[in-house]
Amino acid sequence: MFSQFRAGKPVPKPMTYLKCLECGTINSRPFKDGDYVFKIVEEKCPKCGSNKMKIIGIYVKEPQKKQAQSRIVSRRA
Amino acid sequence: MGLFGDVAGMLSFLQFAPQQDLISIVTSLIWIVFMMIFLLYPTFSQRLQLGYILRDLERRLNRLKAMRDEVRARTLETLKKYAEKGVDVGRELDNLLLSFMIEPESMDPYGVVYKLEHIARSWEDTFEEHVKAICSKADRERAKTLTNLVDVARGMDYLYRVVRHYYLLGKKTSNVYIVLQVQMLIPQLMEIAEAYRQASYAFMHGQPIGDGVGVLAAAKLVENMEKKTYEIAKDTIVHETSFEGRKLFVLRAAGPGGAVGRPADGLLKILESEGDRVKAIIMIDAGLKLEGEETGKVVEGIGAAIGGLGVEKFKIEEASKKRNIPLYAFVIYQSIGEAITPMKESIAKAADEVVERVKKLITSKVEEGFSVIVAGIGNTVGIGVT
Ligand SMILES: [Zn+2]
Repeated sequence: MFSQFRAGKPVPKPMTYLKCLECGTINSRPFKDGDYVFKIVEEKCPKCGSNKMKIIGIYVKEPQKKQAQSRIVSRRA
Repeated sequence: MGLFGDVAGMLSFLQFAPQQDLISIVTSLIWIVFMMIFLLYPTFSQRLQLGYILRDLERRLNRLKAMRDEVRARTLETLKKYAEKGVDVGRELDNLLLSFMIEPESMDPYGVVYKLEHIARSWEDTFEEHVKAICSKADRERAKTLTNLVDVARGMDYLYRVVRHYYLLGKKTSNVYIVLQVQMLIPQLMEIAEAYRQASYAFMHGQPIGDGVGVLAAAKLVENMEKKTYEIAKDTIVHETSFEGRKLFVLRAAGPGGAVGRPADGLLKILESEGDRVKAIIMIDAGLKLEGEETGKVVEGIGAAIGGLGVEKFKIEEASKKRNIPLYAFVIYQSIGEAITPMKESIAKAADEVVERVKKLITSKVEEGFSVIVAGIGNTVGIGVT
């Protein structure tokens, strides 16, 4: 009877955004335990191959807002 | 035959038709009995309503219980990873879930803020020490985040117990007014419960949450500046730097473990040493948006932008009034759910906007040679120190 509730809403999974300290390339990957914003991690830059990257952000990517979703909800001009 | 007979019976009853057969007489009698029930037993409809509401509440309560159990199980599993063998983590966790704080008596309100502060701090410290004692293998930062996780589980557990209390009370006393009130509140309560559920994931993994945006903005403000960083109060750090000829103090809770720190204590210490050179206090915090408003919108106002029990807010207001320093506030809109669940993109992007606006405010309101305090308020989980 309650099976429809058991699963619950899916929990949003954040992405980790990394910036290469050599060339400044920004790339992202799913969040891993131990990540935190401003941490310097030893991961290979996909562009220049440098070994040092800085985490510049951890957040949940949002889908692009649909135009004219609702007339009531305020939108950016 | 059945349906047709009923309809025919009703029609004949209404029209007082002369030739009534057996079925129509029975139907008429049933109608009369029903009418008598409603006449002689006026609360009958209320009883029916009570039954419906109780069934609806029971369904939601079962859902709440499932969520409570899920959050407790996740917390238990996480704590066990950091506990020594031989510790009965389940029992210790249940003790923590039932832990409480008694608010001070306010019959005579004089000095009640400091009593509240004393009690709340003792409770927080005891709670944290208890978690640390269970998870002896966790480092300092992890232990702080685990304390937050247990706090989320405690909130979820309390919510469930309160709803269950009113459900059972309404059922026991057959009081429709009690269950009606719960029914009115339950949609919001379910939303809060869902937020707790998602928050437990965030704290389990140490991910930044929406509430951390104030700290994030403060960290970004001083990210590439040369600065002196030191601990000024419990779990609270300050970055001392200069910005376009002004002395800048940036106050925030220490990360990346989950903590909100004691910004008021830090602020008072800076004011003591800086005296009248401080010309502005700027506070950045997440703020509750109204339904229909955009998440991540940055708004500007005046006052102490800080939540919690009110102790920190009181102390900051008192100090700023005493020295006649204006309090400027930047608030980043979000819902109560968004504040305790993993940070959304629009909130993270708002931090960059706040940094620019804070810089503009400093140059326009504080003259060169004077000092300004910027306080990033919020939970630092997942946000390191720059
Ligand atoms: Zn690179």
